[in-house]
Amino acid sequence: MLTKESEQFLIELRMHLISKGKNDKEINEITDELEDHLLQAEAEGKDVTHIIGESPKQYMKSIGESMKTDYRQMIGLVPLMILLLAAYFSLAPAIEGKFSLSGGMIMVASIGSVVGVLIYAVLLFKVLPGYIQSKKGYLLMFGTMLLVTGLGVAVLFWYNAQDFQPVFTATPLQNNLILAACIVIFIAAAIYTKTWFTIIIPLFLSLGPIAGRFIPEDVNEDPTLILYTIILLVVISAIAIFLLIRKKKKQKQPTV
Amino acid sequence: MADTTQMLKGILDGCLLSIIKDGEIYGYELAARLESYGFTSFSEGTIYPLLLRMQKEGLVSATLRKSTAGPKRKYYSLTEKGEGELVSFIKRWEQLSFSVNNVLDKRGM
Repeated sequence: MLTKESEQFLIELRMHLISKGKNDKEINEITDELEDHLLQAEAEGKDVTHIIGESPKQYMKSIGESMKTDYRQMIGLVPLMILLLAAYFSLAPAIEGKFSLSGGMIMVASIGSVVGVLIYAVLLFKVLPGYIQSKKGYLLMFGTMLLVTGLGVAVLFWYNAQDFQPVFTATPLQNNLILAACIVIFIAAAIYTKTWFTIIIPLFLSLGPIAGRFIPEDVNEDPTLILYTIILLVVISAIAIFLLIRKKKKQKQPTV
Repeated sequence: MADTTQMLKGILDGCLLSIIKDGEIYGYELAARLESYGFTSFSEGTIYPLLLRMQKEGLVSATLRKSTAGPKRKYYSLTEKGEGELVSFIKRWEQLSFSVNNVLDKRGM
């Protein structure tokens, strides 16, 4: 079992190397090798600093400089980013069954994707890895969510005022297909970066639209249904908390 | 410690080659061997950037083997080019240590 510090270091290292455009296979090799080393060193009671030195940043840099940059793969990363962003934009309308495209929307989306790729790249590679183990990380994620939602609402108001004609409106089947594509993209990105960000964030984002799609309008006036919902939520959170505590306890037990 | 690190640059490469020459070895074992020879003040991770570079230069080759616990282990062995580099390192080192000792001995007298 690795300590939090070591795990944190390995995640930061992986993100650093991905952002520097190193080859995937080589990234896996060096992180596996270091994980193996850290496991053995910690089993012997050594401190992380004994392995990676006083400055993890410096150490990551020296590893990065010893690996060759894979430019072909780096070019491949850009489409992934754009796909991810497109998936973020399409997720909510697809869940609500209202996916449509118009000339104006395509314009907004292309400007948005350039800005978005930049923000997203900074967040994913530079900011989040540093906070993944702390409460700050969740606050940061929550703050970003609020900001993105706020921006989204602002753009939506502007967009509605422009009266663009949709050039494409999705049928229910197409909506579901788009939704499936989004899910595949999120999962692929999560596997690729070996992190949970691209699954957790969309999950949060989709809570509202899911409720909008599956709960009929008149529910709001029916007190018994509201009561059921509250009970259901309480039960689900209780189970989640219980599982979380059990997992923590399990982690504390030494594995043989 | 920073001074030792500066001095170690280049020398550590030769030491790694020399240890790898004894037979296939993986990272942790390599660091442990270095420590047992008295290299105690450097951080163990330092060897990995060096190994990566030596692999890129074709001085060592690596194969992945299953280990008893955890992920697959990367075992290093010396290539022909690496053996040549080791021979020339030994020559350079002998020359260098001879000169340095000479300087220090004369000043000490």
